[in-house]
Amino acid sequence: MDAQLLISGVIFGLSIGGIFFLMAIGLSLCFGLMRIISLDQLLYYSVGGYITYSVSLAAGSVWLGVLAGCAVAGIVAFAVERLIFRRIYERELTYSMITSFGILIGGIGVIKSIWGVVPRPVPVPTMIQWNVIGTEVPVYRLIVFALAIVVYAGIWLFLNRTIIGKAIRAGIEDVEHVEGLGINVSRLFTLTFIIAGALSGLAGGLHAPLIMVDPQMGLEVLAFVFMVVIIGGLGSIKGTLISAFLVGQVVSLGSLIYAPLAQMAPFAIMLVILLIKPTGLYGSALLKR
Amino acid sequence: MSMAPDNEPPQSGDILCVSGLNVAYGEARVLFDIDMRVGPRQIVACVGRNGAGKTTLLKSIAGFLKPLAGAVTSGTTNLVGQPSYDIARLGIKYVPQDKKVFSDLTVAENLELGSYATKDYNWDPVTTYFPKLKVLMHRKAGYLSGGERQMLMIGRALLGSPQVLLIDEPTEGLAPSIVTHLRNVFSELSKNTALVIVEQNLPLVCAISSKVYAIKEGRVVAELADPESIKPEICERFL
Amino acid sequence: MLKAWRWWWGIVLAFSLLLVARVFLPLPFINEVVIFSIYTMGCSFLLGRVGFISFGQPAYLAVGAYATAFYLFYYGTNPYIGILLGVAAGGIVAVIVGPLFVRLRSDYFALVNLALAVIVFYLMQKVLAGITHGDNGLWFLTNIASTPVLDLGKPGHFFIFAWLVTLAVWAFYKYLDDSVYGACCLATKINEDKLKFLGYDNFRIRLLAFVIANTTTALAGSMYAVYLGFVSPEITSPARAADPVVVTILGGVGTLYGPIVGAFAYTGMKDVVSKLIGNWELIIGFLLVFIMLAGEKGIWGTLQPLFEKLLFRKKASATDDGAEVHR
Repeated sequence: MDAQLLISGVIFGLSIGGIFFLMAIGLSLCFGLMRIISLDQLLYYSVGGYITYSVSLAAGSVWLGVLAGCAVAGIVAFAVERLIFRRIYERELTYSMITSFGILIGGIGVIKSIWGVVPRPVPVPTMIQWNVIGTEVPVYRLIVFALAIVVYAGIWLFLNRTIIGKAIRAGIEDVEHVEGLGINVSRLFTLTFIIAGALSGLAGGLHAPLIMVDPQMGLEVLAFVFMVVIIGGLGSIKGTLISAFLVGQVVSLGSLIYAPLAQMAPFAIMLVILLIKPTGLYGSALLKR
Repeated sequence: MSMAPDNEPPQSGDILCVSGLNVAYGEARVLFDIDMRVGPRQIVACVGRNGAGKTTLLKSIAGFLKPLAGAVTSGTTNLVGQPSYDIARLGIKYVPQDKKVFSDLTVAENLELGSYATKDYNWDPVTTYFPKLKVLMHRKAGYLSGGERQMLMIGRALLGSPQVLLIDEPTEGLAPSIVTHLRNVFSELSKNTALVIVEQNLPLVCAISSKVYAIKEGRVVAELADPESIKPEICERFL
Repeated sequence: MLKAWRWWWGIVLAFSLLLVARVFLPLPFINEVVIFSIYTMGCSFLLGRVGFISFGQPAYLAVGAYATAFYLFYYGTNPYIGILLGVAAGGIVAVIVGPLFVRLRSDYFALVNLALAVIVFYLMQKVLAGITHGDNGLWFLTNIASTPVLDLGKPGHFFIFAWLVTLAVWAFYKYLDDSVYGACCLATKINEDKLKFLGYDNFRIRLLAFVIANTTTALAGSMYAVYLGFVSPEITSPARAADPVVVTILGGVGTLYGPIVGAFAYTGMKDVVSKLIGNWELIIGFLLVFIMLAGEKGIWGTLQPLFEKLLFRKKASATDDGAEVHR
């Protein structure tokens, strides 16, 4: 394999890893703090993609579309949290899994009825190519990767330097305890959910130019996002970052070797890791069944 | 010397009044018709064997459990049905057992959370009672010893000048010197705050409490309010 | 005699109703309902009795279907053997992945199964496209030989066969339910520590349940293959992962009639909604959420205590079929 192909593959992997990270973070946080599995994050991803499509069509700017997608996804997430999730926080994990799956499927139905089933293309905001070590790489993919890193830094700062972020970290350890201090955890939950939704929407918006948006797009990445979350360990931000880029590289470089197998490689990795550590690389064994 | 549960009507002076409290976990009933009264600046002890329901009682008062029936009031405010964070804001703070602190946060950050919740950023009272905490400010709470954790938890609960502290088994597993320190702290605290202490350490609570409730299998089997009767041997008899 | 009747009356009633329905409803519909019931019974058992939710049931469906398809397309013509092979394949896969999956926490379990479904999908669609013909699918309706007594090629005969199989599966699950093993499964769902102290091995109980449930699913897959005479990767697409979950919830988790009621309702709704609105994901999604918020009992689960009250004149209590136990 020549160097050019390799570098392209690595860049591709970095961008896809970035997308995975943005989505997996939301899932991980929601689980860590609220002990729910929020499959509906895949819906906010789709919403982000579709809003990006519509806004970029109407306003001519893809970046504006991405921003709008992020915002709308956050709003939808807020609505869902207030209406549905706040009633099921105390229940078992299975409950939230099924309910969020229902929201995801129902949401796909809504998308279908608004935009139809035909996949829509979204233009890439910038077609510039840079020369990296002798290879022409699309700048857009580098931007996606950079944005993911920026988000990671932002989340880190938020969780470690702001009081609300610290409250969330404390809540991930023991929510009841945080309540007992007098902190309104209900608001904390809502905030976390909105952040997760907005990040998923951002992922969808950024991913849209790289793929075509279609109603099933959420389901297509579902398995990968969850493999990332499982490998990294539910509830761990650092683990999510590492596993997102790991899976990104595997999928990307793997497909250069043998395409179909590359899609399955993350699965194999996940199985191996679960064999050794059933809660993922950095996952905690806090929860019983 | 009164042995039987009190049947007097609640006095408006009470900082905390529990009447007819019945609590269950699903189908299993844990507390039966609990009556308890705590006056301001009073130290009240709840003693009983493991599983008697003492923690359940504190948790119910603090709003973590919804009772089947009964009333919990503080002055004229009804506490039943309110979320635990609102009850904490009212000045009734629960200090749980097992010395659980937020291990990933530093001591200072733990206190910061308490300040954020109560808007009380004056840590002087805390460091006055527990000077050791000053030294440990930047250590991650997960690395503290049991005694230090207990100090952190109580210190943090002091922020916002609470009216009642519900303290669950504070001296469990602690060295005698620390237990003595805590005992003195409790005595000092009660000059401003009412304390409800759940304890297995009978000599300790008998030394500082002005009222002792003995709980057995979910019921109050004795209420000792007479200084003469608050002795470990007498408590033992009821358990 | 009376005791046997008591045990069987429910089954007899339900299945007689199915026979009656055959007369009134179109054959394709009722055939699909029956096969789908088998599919759902496995899933319902897994969720209701063992407490596991799996988003990857389509994987085992595909394993069964494709095994049967391979046989009928490449090797032979006997549909019965095809079905047997499908079931065997399903059992083997379940036994291989079971020991790893069953050890996991409930959320990881559900997702890992989903990942499996996606992997099987890719396998059939792309990797093994050489033998599976990818998205075009395998067509082998003409390969199915006429068999004596019941010609599975004919829809009418197939229904009778399917009906018998469903009856057998149903009776099997009822037997399981009433046996000690069934009680163990329930116990493992509620309080595994206690069960451990009693001397039972939670892991083995769960593993066995996993294998049984997924072999049942593979059976459904094989039946689909024979009935349709055609298999494509669509059967295990991630979108279909919702099907068994929805139906189980619809019908009532853990009840024995639930799967049949649910299968009926689901297939019926899908038909109707698809014809009228064409966007049935919308309906199914919101229905699922609504049901989850309203209560986990499902259609049958809520009706059953009422039925029992009427028919047996005893107070509706949490006994045999109706034991919807959840914390």
